[in-house]
Amino acid sequence: MTRPTAAKGATRKAKADTAWHRSIKGRRALAVLLTFALLIPLGILFVVPFFVMLSTALKTKPQIFQFPPSLIPDPIVWANFPEGWRGYDFIDFTGCTWNSVKITVNNIIGNLVSCTLAAYAFARLKARGKNIFFGILLATMLLPNEAVLIPQYVLFRILGWNDTHLPLMVPPWFGWPFFIFLLRQFFMTIPEELVDAAKIDGAGHARILMQIFVPLSKPALATLAIFAFVGNWNNFFGPLLYLRTPEIQTLPVCLVQYQGAYGNTDWNLMMAVATITVIPVLLIFIFGQRYFVEGIATSGVKR
Amino acid sequence: MSREKLSRRAFLKLAAATGSGAALAGLGPLSSIASAQDSVELTFGRHWEAAFRPRQAEYDEGFMERHPDIDISITYNTWADHNNVVPAWAAAGTLPDIIYVHGSRVVPWAHEGIIIDIHDIVTPDEEFDVDNMWEESLRLYRIDGRLHALPYDHGPLILGYNVDMFDAAGLDYPDEDWTMDDLREAAMALSNPDEFQWGWSGEFDLGNGGSDFFLGAWGGRKMNDDETEMILDSAESREAMNFWYSLIHEENAGPSATEAEGFGDNPWQNGRCGMAVVPTWETPSLRAFASFNWDVAPTPMGAGGVRRTGAFGSGYGITPTSGQPDVAWTYLREYLSNDGMIFMWSLSGRGSPARPEALEVWFTSDPAPPNAHFYRDAMFDYAVTGRPYQTIAGAQVSDILSREAELLRLGETTVDASIAAIMEEGQAALDAVADDM
Amino acid sequence: MYRRLLKPISPSARREERIFYLFILPWLIGLVVFNAGPILGILGLSFTDWRISFEGLNFVGLENYRTLFADETFWISVGNTLYITVGRVVLGTIFALFLAILLNQKVPGIPFFRAVYYLPSVTAGVAVALVWIWIFNPQVGILNHTLRLIGIKGPTWIHSTVWVKPSLIIMSIFTVGPNMIILLAGLQGIPKELYEAADIDGAGTWDKFVNVTLPMLSPVLFFVIIISVAASFQNFTEIRVMTQGGPGESSNVLVWYLWENAFVYFQMGVASAVAWIIFLLLMGLTGIQFRLGRRWVFYEV
Repeated sequence: MTRPTAAKGATRKAKADTAWHRSIKGRRALAVLLTFALLIPLGILFVVPFFVMLSTALKTKPQIFQFPPSLIPDPIVWANFPEGWRGYDFIDFTGCTWNSVKITVNNIIGNLVSCTLAAYAFARLKARGKNIFFGILLATMLLPNEAVLIPQYVLFRILGWNDTHLPLMVPPWFGWPFFIFLLRQFFMTIPEELVDAAKIDGAGHARILMQIFVPLSKPALATLAIFAFVGNWNNFFGPLLYLRTPEIQTLPVCLVQYQGAYGNTDWNLMMAVATITVIPVLLIFIFGQRYFVEGIATSGVKR
Repeated sequence: MSREKLSRRAFLKLAAATGSGAALAGLGPLSSIASAQDSVELTFGRHWEAAFRPRQAEYDEGFMERHPDIDISITYNTWADHNNVVPAWAAAGTLPDIIYVHGSRVVPWAHEGIIIDIHDIVTPDEEFDVDNMWEESLRLYRIDGRLHALPYDHGPLILGYNVDMFDAAGLDYPDEDWTMDDLREAAMALSNPDEFQWGWSGEFDLGNGGSDFFLGAWGGRKMNDDETEMILDSAESREAMNFWYSLIHEENAGPSATEAEGFGDNPWQNGRCGMAVVPTWETPSLRAFASFNWDVAPTPMGAGGVRRTGAFGSGYGITPTSGQPDVAWTYLREYLSNDGMIFMWSLSGRGSPARPEALEVWFTSDPAPPNAHFYRDAMFDYAVTGRPYQTIAGAQVSDILSREAELLRLGETTVDASIAAIMEEGQAALDAVADDM
Repeated sequence: MYRRLLKPISPSARREERIFYLFILPWLIGLVVFNAGPILGILGLSFTDWRISFEGLNFVGLENYRTLFADETFWISVGNTLYITVGRVVLGTIFALFLAILLNQKVPGIPFFRAVYYLPSVTAGVAVALVWIWIFNPQVGILNHTLRLIGIKGPTWIHSTVWVKPSLIIMSIFTVGPNMIILLAGLQGIPKELYEAADIDGAGTWDKFVNVTLPMLSPVLFFVIIISVAASFQNFTEIRVMTQGGPGESSNVLVWYLWENAFVYFQMGVASAVAWIIFLLLMGLTGIQFRLGRRWVFYEV
């Protein structure tokens, strides 16, 4: 595979005549229109699951199951939110939230640090045995979690970590194959010339990583952070198995406590809390995504 | 639900009021605990939904007041998770002292060493009086005659009906003389599927509790008493299965599985159905969710005058890694005593305590329907504990049965095909463990 | 390979090698401490009659594997897994790329739309799988209700042996958020100069897509495909909450088959064998993709 031919003209400056400019403008307006024509209807579809969750959260019990299904609750029961959060005075959602926040923040930082290092090594350093280790990295990504659930649990018990946050908080500092692979793919697209230039300036690998790769990979690092956030925030089986004391439990496990066995589940309360737990992720996403946009624009590839 | 705290005094008062507390009042802590200087921790793996936990906490507070040397610590699992989490705990050696065990799991869990034989702890304890528990309930917990766990609840499946719907249609309520044909007639008269109203709840359950309700009146059965052979292919069973199948799919007198799901998997509780199978343990949620009057009647008879239904329940077991079965027993002997059951399951309205006297007290609780005594009659006269519960292939057989029941309710298979599949696969599952039993 | 390992190298290369191992050290330690044991343990245990207790295990050779290969349900689950994987990967990747391109347009309100499209992926987990059950309900679910309004009688979705797999694929399309984001980040990383140059060369939108976007995006696209295959093989929560492998065996996939054997039937030895079969299948598929990838993935280096 060769470089895209168009790249050859990258440095050429366009001297555009006005007619060409106008036609571009017209095409641009059409493109915007077409984009909206696709974005809006699809967007409505994508809101449906959240909307169903929110609408259930605002219903009275009898309203939840009625025909035809009512999309807009009537009356709207805002009180489900505080009542749901109270959890019959027996599910401590506030406490669970702090546990989840603590674990999630720690894990994002741990993953960012450990995965960046390993990804740089796999993307840009030459070493004997590298391919073998990369193969192992990929392989560990391919084994289903459910398969190693019990052996890993046994291991954590041997380490004395049973019923502590350690099984959830320590491993992220030792990398996560999926993230290492993800960052490696991004690091591999960073132009070699930049590295060469830095090497001529006498920069070591630590400096190249921190001053070239990290700034240039902000979109990828932001992506990784958001994945780590969602993954840890929603992690269910880990806490379910490793944590026993209710006081140290995390949000997803607390949430399912609403489920009863004989149809006696307060769905509206459960969905109210589920809605609340989604909000932090959404906020992080909305505020974090400017890094996707500006990451390149501000520190972008200037050759 | 009663909210008062169950202090030592209240517990004793309660015990005295129900006439069997004298023995309990004289109970001192067991010797091994009395000698311990510091308090010991007693850990639990339970599965109550959150709404019932305040009651449990009340009980435990009272218990810790009576036994200051014991600290209770509970891990709650949901019903869906409990049966997966416990084996993982077992594998890693992190089981708590006492675990909730569904009646169908006693044999497999005992076989895997998750719960221990407690026969020699339970039977010498005369005050506990294990023989006072329903005999049908103890069947679940005995392996070769020895107790491996104890029931807390056990209840029969009888007929519940929506009083308002019967009144509106001007129909007579179900009574002792009812046969399954009466049920069908009433179900058809009450049904108006276009309005999402059905005479029957649409249930068609081949599982532990349900199958005897659905097969019993015809004299049909799933498996033999040794649980070594599937016998669902009898003419009686086939007739019974055809009856329920056609009630849903031909008479349209019951919601299909998908229609039922649209009403939270419980159209009966949502007031859409005239009749349903109603176990006692469902009564608190009916109390909380149902906006109609309802009552219960005996399970209808078959054409030959046969009346039979299923019963089932759950219990508690002690784990091998506990290392302090005596402390665990200190708890269980009170918790599962008549008075403990009255507090936990009778006065709370939760229902189906595993002791007859406690059941009598439940009749007076708020959630119990007017004719709650039919539950007692069923337990005494015609309810049998639903199989499988003796084979270690129970989980496999149950999966096959519930899979086929689901397909039948969905109309994705026929009665004959379903019976053939259950016979073949169920028998294979039983044969596979024949050597281990 | 062996000879290459021992090949003498220059001092600077040796320094680079040391840095390589230093940088991957945290991952290596994690690999040895947290993963090697459990993974090798599972391999060993797949040759035993492990049920729950680790005591008194017997070596049974290939018995567990033989049991699997003789079990009809196992083969059904292999077929279901491949069916769902092909659907998820093909449709999911195309759709994720389509969304990423849409969301990379310079139109007002893009941050809002990005959040909207990522929303179903954020709301993953048990609670939302329950919401999907309601959406798919044939009678009162919003999906068929909407179809009814436009005069279509919808299928019974997850309650149909025919439709359950397409239902799961459709659902997965709503959760392409992560892939969409990866591809979006990849798109953002393509130097603008390349497009400007293509404009000057008079290239059309399609030409630019084929000659600039796809090659520049290929490492990321390659990653997305590899990950999607693995994720599809390992997808568990939705199956557990929504279908439990049913109706019948029609959504019984390998990871559910593994789960049932391990946690319901206590056939942990058999389940370990299933784990290795999943692993080997994925290794094979990934290996093929790397081989094919050499033909179409374009790297800077």
